[in-house]
Amino acid sequence: MTSVIETGARPKWLNKRLVLSPIFDETRSALNSLRINTVCESSRCPNLTECFSRRNATFLILGRNCTRACAFCSINKGLPARLDTEEPYRLASAAKRLGVKHVVITSVTRDDLEDGGASQFVACVKALRELSVEITVEVLVPDFAGKLLSVDKVLASGPHVFGHNMETTRRLYPALRKGADYDVSLSILKKAASFSPNVVAKSGIILGLGESEDEIRNTILDIREAGCDMLTIGQYLAPSSGCEPVHKFYRPEEFEFYRDMAIRAGFKVVSAGSFVRSSYLAEMMYKETKGC
Amino acid sequence: MTDVKLPVLAEGVNKATVAYWHKSVGDAVKEGEDLVELVTDKATFNMPSPASGVLKEVLISEGAEVSVGQLLARIE
Repeated sequence: MTSVIETGARPKWLNKRLVLSPIFDETRSALNSLRINTVCESSRCPNLTECFSRRNATFLILGRNCTRACAFCSINKGLPARLDTEEPYRLASAAKRLGVKHVVITSVTRDDLEDGGASQFVACVKALRELSVEITVEVLVPDFAGKLLSVDKVLASGPHVFGHNMETTRRLYPALRKGADYDVSLSILKKAASFSPNVVAKSGIILGLGESEDEIRNTILDIREAGCDMLTIGQYLAPSSGCEPVHKFYRPEEFEFYRDMAIRAGFKVVSAGSFVRSSYLAEMMYKETKGC
Repeated sequence: MTDVKLPVLAEGVNKATVAYWHKSVGDAVKEGEDLVELVTDKATFNMPSPASGVLKEVLISEGAEVSVGQLLARIE
């Protein structure tokens, strides 16, 4: 039972099952009609049919163009969009239309904006609050060019989960995350973790970019030391041929190994696997963290 | 008769390559059972059968490229 196509030596366990459901189309058209961008679409995520069929989507705010050029990402690099003051309301409308109970908001990096886009995150959290006090909100923020005042601003708006992804190990930062700084990202997580017991700090790393086992261990320990309770560990898949090639496909048991390592390090909830992404099954992860 | 068409796999991905048919023409197939393996630049997907019946016709053979919305097979 082998494929006739040479899939660039893509291993068998990296087979994503498509979900064929009318809800997929409903979700897609609801998002399109409200002009909502999602990272699910911009990143060409292979979980798209599964998540959209569950009415799960991760909203991407502040436009489609990013001011950074991380080597593992397929989001457009280009002139950033004009700040759209209607966006928070459209986002709340979309959440209402989809009937979601847990909303994940992320953004492109906006080095062109004074606050890195923090006020737009705040406006979105507010708009969701006005819509419903029941909705739990997870933000997944960029590094705001290290401006901790922006981090404070977003934290003060009261998200339930504050996420910032470390993405990769310290050594690979200069090559893969140009413009970012490993210690700056850690300081953002520290800030979030110590802000309030009501906010859970979360981070994510992607494997397969050329890191070693020791480097993964150190990154996991650094994130834990920063105070994060939630961690995701996923497989890097090159979104397009222009991106960094995949250096290694980790086996399911290797993800288990790193999951156990993270749990031993003290994380409350760890999600690890080939198709795990930082906001994959975010609601479930949050509930697990809260013990409900 | 059910037309099996290539669904949207991921956004901005308009084409896929048929890697492997789990069933041959004449085989019985159940709804939800793996029918065909599809390969894109980013990932490999298993597409479940959208209906139960007999695989009547396969229009795209292994190794060939197919576009979103294009007819892959017929199930009766």
